[in-house]
Amino acid sequence: MSNPARPPSDAPLTSQPWRHVAPSRMAAWDADAGRPVAWAELHGRIGAWQRRLDALAVPGQRWLLHCRCPREFAAALIALWARGDSAVLPADDRPETLQALATECRAALGDVAGGLVAAPSPSPPHWGPLEPSRRALSLYTSGSSGEPQRIDKSFAQLDAELAAHARLWPLEGRLVISQVSHQHIYGLLFGILRPLCEGAPLAGAACRTPETLGAWLGRLAEAPAAPPGAVLVSAPPPLERLPETLLPPAAAGRLARVHSSGAPLSAAASAHARRVLGAPVEEVYGSSETGGIAWRDQQRGEAWTPLPGVEVRADDAGGLWLRSAYLETAEWRPQADRIAPGPQGFRLLGRADRIAKVGGKRLSLTGLERRLARHPDVLRAHALPLPGRPHRLGAVLQLAAPALPWCREARRARVAELRDALAGAYPASLMPRHWRFVATWPTNAQGKLGAAEVARLFRDLDDPRRPRWLGVETEGAGRCRVTLEVPERLSYLAGHFPEQPVVPGVVLVQWAVALAEEHLGLAGEFRDLARVRFPQPLLPGERATLELAVDTTAAGPRLAFSLTGRHGCHARGRVQLARGEVDHAG
Amino acid sequence: MATPLEHELKQLIIETLELEDTTPEDIDPDAPLFVEGLGLDSIDALELGLALQKTYGIQLEAESEEARRHFASLRSLVALVEARRND
Repeated sequence: MSNPARPPSDAPLTSQPWRHVAPSRMAAWDADAGRPVAWAELHGRIGAWQRRLDALAVPGQRWLLHCRCPREFAAALIALWARGDSAVLPADDRPETLQALATECRAALGDVAGGLVAAPSPSPPHWGPLEPSRRALSLYTSGSSGEPQRIDKSFAQLDAELAAHARLWPLEGRLVISQVSHQHIYGLLFGILRPLCEGAPLAGAACRTPETLGAWLGRLAEAPAAPPGAVLVSAPPPLERLPETLLPPAAAGRLARVHSSGAPLSAAASAHARRVLGAPVEEVYGSSETGGIAWRDQQRGEAWTPLPGVEVRADDAGGLWLRSAYLETAEWRPQADRIAPGPQGFRLLGRADRIAKVGGKRLSLTGLERRLARHPDVLRAHALPLPGRPHRLGAVLQLAAPALPWCREARRARVAELRDALAGAYPASLMPRHWRFVATWPTNAQGKLGAAEVARLFRDLDDPRRPRWLGVETEGAGRCRVTLEVPERLSYLAGHFPEQPVVPGVVLVQWAVALAEEHLGLAGEFRDLARVRFPQPLLPGERATLELAVDTTAAGPRLAFSLTGRHGCHARGRVQLARGEVDHAG
Repeated sequence: MATPLEHELKQLIIETLELEDTTPEDIDPDAPLFVEGLGLDSIDALELGLALQKTYGIQLEAESEEARRHFASLRSLVALVEARRND
């Protein structure tokens, strides 16, 4: 069932190679089981989705699609395209994200609340043409610089970009393993559409941890009828966190190439990934709006080479302009990044000035960030007008660990010091009002501080029952560590010891459960508490780290939590939940 | 010891302006509310004016000399509310 390489095509997508593929050929490889999945099976899933959709609506619909499983996502996408529909891909599955898109779509498909799913039994698929000028899908920007923007892509645009990738980095039948979300353009192109178009197998599931990656590559070396090697589609967050030794000896040489996109990889992280994974690391620079712009391998240097079909130039201020065959029109367009062109391509100099209007005054956020970053304890600074509070600035500051404030007095002193540092250059109304001090930079799976992270960092402003969220670190399946601060405006502090307000213990347990639901997908009905202790009171303004671990017992999911601050443990214990009913409406 | 009205106004300031790190005890009744002291600004003055109107029905001409005088410190704000709410 090995897949011979297909010659590059100018219409890799609209020619719909999956229509003519032999049913016995490999569509995916179930890496957990070490088992090939034939196209006959995927065709059956495509048909099952079509039967579901045909029963609901005539062709020409827009469907919201969110599906974590790459195989099922691919089946649903091909199914609706062949019907003559287009897909709306939400950036994430937060209720507010989905709600905002609901009116644009006929219905939601996949693993979201109330999402429609196809029947498990296979059906024969039916095929229709993919007109190049037709809209294939809509995506959303991460919203790191404002409200998320909708980006529409036609089949012709996707064709142009997929054809260029296939020529530059042919997959040649290798297994494509993705560590990034296919709800975004990079993961969609590299992790889903390229393998489908080039006849290379998809990995059967998303690859969440480095340990999984190591295990899969090992299995690739040992399993009979396995694909001849693999390509890893990754991003800075997983690559920067690769453990020193990862691959079993058998896996050596199985990985042909690593891709990274979303944000530039540091030179050190690039070299580390190359060493640990034993494969060249090819970075792609681009955006949801533009698609891919350029690529580089830092082994050869820092400069970026424009992708085939993309022309790049700099204006007098260093601003990047581009003309691209992946866009619907062939005009020059300005971009937000600044570049320095050179003989070997160009170097990226960072974002051009971000300007915000705060209380009617124009302010360079970039300038404010630079001023803040001058402070020796500040490693990184991001200033932004807060959603819903256009006249108030928030600031996210990454501080060196010893400089992080652990109590209210330290935080007040820190803020006063930073305000003093700004006082010479900025009036009080342009100074950040809401400060968030973090130990590690909060990013989404694309390596960016996105709208979801910003919303988390400042959500205590709108909900006085919540702790201030200052970052999460996941530590393997079912474990994470969340950093918190107690807002002085926390509603639970009122009346709880007038002399010295403390956070009631029951609230700490509530926070642990809510954050485990959010970060670890904990679900189920509360049963009981065990071994709960509250050794140290937690005071307003104090910072603490909440360790969460979820495992499953015979009774249902169980959460172990411990909240530790500067002076020791504030709370620990276990919460037993009953297995909840999984909601599969529709 | 703060009077109930003093405490109420401190809470109003903290809530209205969403001050982080500030509890009622942090507000010195005699210290200036703006620029120095709490470091409030002209937008804060507008919002505080609105909150006073909503809570106590007190109308102040924004940016007026009168408003500036009443907003000088918490003490002067207390005096304003005591005088006007009994009208």
